[in-house]
Formats: sequence, structure tokens, C-alpha cells
Amino acid sequence: MLAVRGGDLAALATLFERHHRALFNYFLHISGSRDHGEDLVQDVFFRILKYRRSFDPDQPFRPWMYRIARSAHADLASKRRLETALGEREFSVTSRVDEGLRQQQEISLLQRALARLPAEKREILVLSRFQNLKHDEIASMLGCEVGAVKVRVYRAVRALGQIYMELSGERAS
Amino acid sequence: MNCEEARSLFVDYWSDALTGGASEEFSLHLEACQQCRSEAESLKGLWTSLSAIPEEDPGPRTRTRFHDLLRSWRQAESVRRGWFPLAAHPAFQAVAAALILTLGIGAGYLLRSQEGARGASSGQSEIAQLRAEVSNMRQLVALSLLQQQNASDRLRGVSYAYRVEHDDPQVVDALLTTVSLDSNVNVRLAAVDALSNVSSPAARLGLEQTLDRQTSPLVQIAILDQLVQWRDRAARAVVESLVSDRDADPEVRQHAQWALREIQ
Repeated sequence: MLAVRGGDLAALATLFERHHRALFNYFLHISGSRDHGEDLVQDVFFRILKYRRSFDPDQPFRPWMYRIARSAHADLASKRRLETALGEREFSVTSRVDEGLRQQQEISLLQRALARLPAEKREILVLSRFQNLKHDEIASMLGCEVGAVKVRVYRAVRALGQIYMELSGERAS
Repeated sequence: MNCEEARSLFVDYWSDALTGGASEEFSLHLEACQQCRSEAESLKGLWTSLSAIPEEDPGPRTRTRFHDLLRSWRQAESVRRGWFPLAAHPAFQAVAAALILTLGIGAGYLLRSQEGARGASSGQSEIAQLRAEVSNMRQLVALSLLQQQNASDRLRGVSYAYRVEHDDPQVVDALLTTVSLDSNVNVRLAAVDALSNVSSPAARLGLEQTLDRQTSPLVQIAILDQLVQWRDRAARAVVESLVSDRDADPEVRQHAQWALREIQ
């Protein structure tokens, strides 16, 4: 990112290759839409180009990138009311056709439970569990203490567990 | 270790990241507390099972679109390379200041000469043209300074933004970006203050949207004050959400309650 900030724009291609898949999955988890995910990845790299001089070289890159990602998602959500679309999350199933039916059902149930989590709980769980961000990186993104992040992740997992149990009960009955 | 402290370590336990004394204390607590032990184990299963959700690949157009974006951006940069980098140079800024001064003197001269032999309408037209040129120059300087790496330069950019025509969309957009993304709290605070001169709906909406994403309580309080000053009733939902956010700073929540009463 230092090279990009210094004017070597071609170096952004390396950052894209390194981070675009993780970013896409972040957006997919929190918005539920592949189309929105692809648009938002594009938006993030556009904003990185536009605001590259505001990157602080003394700070790590990923929290800065995810701050931009959150901002891009919030802007789109306010325009398109993304939250209402989460119930119909679009996942590709072609790569999983050969997997066992039970595991497929389990994954589907987890995805439905995740989609029903309140947005702020879903986001912190995605950042911690799927994006593999360190808790101090998440804390710097959200402007809170590391301990507060860990407590929020615990609460999110507990809430997910409750929703998961409810959905399991619905399926059993 | 009590139950609350133990729960704050659950995520480290699930990720096998507990080490040293904390790990020992945690284990001792789980041995003694059946409720925590049961919850930690059952949620650990859920935490582990989340890894079964596979990552998706974005479509091939994502990469194509990115390279199109990068190519067009680099082309635009190369076109501007001849003159735009000058805007970041102190010498350019000095020249710009001198130009503004000269244009100002010119405008004053024209004002005086307006009463002279020349026709009033032609004088007014030239004054309007000069004013537009001064405004464009201020806009360029403000936008250029807001992009600088140094926080004090960005503060100067905010101060220039005060002097630009208040509802200039590019400047409003740059100020809102500064409020959202600038790493320096003082620059963000100054940008909120500069937006107080703006009456466009875009500025109000932009400030509302950034309220719950702010990491600094000071900036949140400044935004709340601004929304109150505007009597922005459309902001009620976002302020209410801040009031009910248990993770928000207590003083910010208290201020948000006050703001809610004021804008109703």
C-alpha cells in the first residue's frame, strides 16, 4: 500500500489479488448478494485509489481497508435497503453437489442462522471468524478495546446458537 | 476469575489462542463452574462448525472490472501529470495565494471603476467572472490540501473549504469523506464544523450516515450538536439507534438522548 500511496498505482493489482476474494466473502456474508458483493469489491478498490494519500503508513493496511469496506457497504445499504434482502442469500451450490446431504443441510442451516443475526452481531462474527482479522485489528477498526471485541464476538456466537437451535427445532418439526 | 471474565476469553478458547496464566485461570474456572463449562463447550462446537461454510469465488468480471478501473485511472493520472502534481507543491500554493490576491485587487478595482465611464452591466459581468475564478481557485486549493498526508495541511484544507461557495458539491463530498475516513480526530472535528455552513441535503444525509460509524466520541458529539443545530428531524432514526446502542460510549448515548429531545 505504501507503493500505491507513493504513486505506483500498478502495485494496487497485487493488493487486489491478495484481498479481493476475502473482501468478496465479507460482503457476501453481510449483504447476502453476489452482485452486491462484486460491486462493493470494485467500490472498495476505487476508494483505495481515491483516498490512498489518507493511508497512515504507521498503521496496518487491513483494518484501514475494512474501514473503507464498511463505509462502502453502509452507503450502499442506505441506498438499497440491503438488510431486507438477507433472507434470500445467494450461495453458489455447484461446488458442493458431491458433498453429503447431511453436511449440505448443516451448512444451509448455519447460513440461514447467520442471515438472521442482527447486522452488528453478524458483522463482528464475520470479521472474527471468516476474515481472520486479529482482535486488535478489529478493535482499531471499530474504535473500542480488544476486550470489548471479544465480548461482542461471544455475544454474537451465543445469539447465533439460539437462532440455530430455533431453526433446528423448526426443521425437526 | 469470575464468569464475566471467563466469557470474554471464550473466543480465545475456541480458537486455541489461550496461553500462560490466563489459560490456567480459565481452566480452573471451567472446572469449578458447570454453567460456563457447558456454554463454552456447546458454543465451541458451533464456532468450529462455521468453518464448514465454504468461501465463494467472485465471478470473473470482478477481475476484469478492476483492471478496467485501474487502467482508466492511470490514463487519467498521466493526462493530469503535466500540471496537477503542482497543486500539492508549496510553491504552487504560494502562487495560488498570490493569484487570489491579484484577482481580489482586480475585483476591487472593477468595483470602483463600475461607477466610472464603463457601463454598469459590463462591469458586473466581469466581476462575476472574477468571483467565479477566485472560487474555482479556492476550491482547487481546498481539495488539494484535503488530500495531503500531513494532518496540519488537511486542517488548512478544511479552513479553505470555509471560503469556498458553501454548497459546492465537490467540497461537500471531500469534507464528508474527511469526516468519515480521516485518521486525525482534530481534522474530522474541523470538517464537521465546516459542514455547519452547508445547507445542502447531501451534507445532512452524509453526517447522519457517518454518526454510528465514528470511532471517536468527540466527533460523534460534534455531529449530534450539528444535527440539533439543523433541527434535522430526518436524523431521529439514527440518533435513536445510537441511544439504544449499549456498546456506544455512555456520554455519547447521554448526549444522543438530549439531541433526540431537541430535534423532536
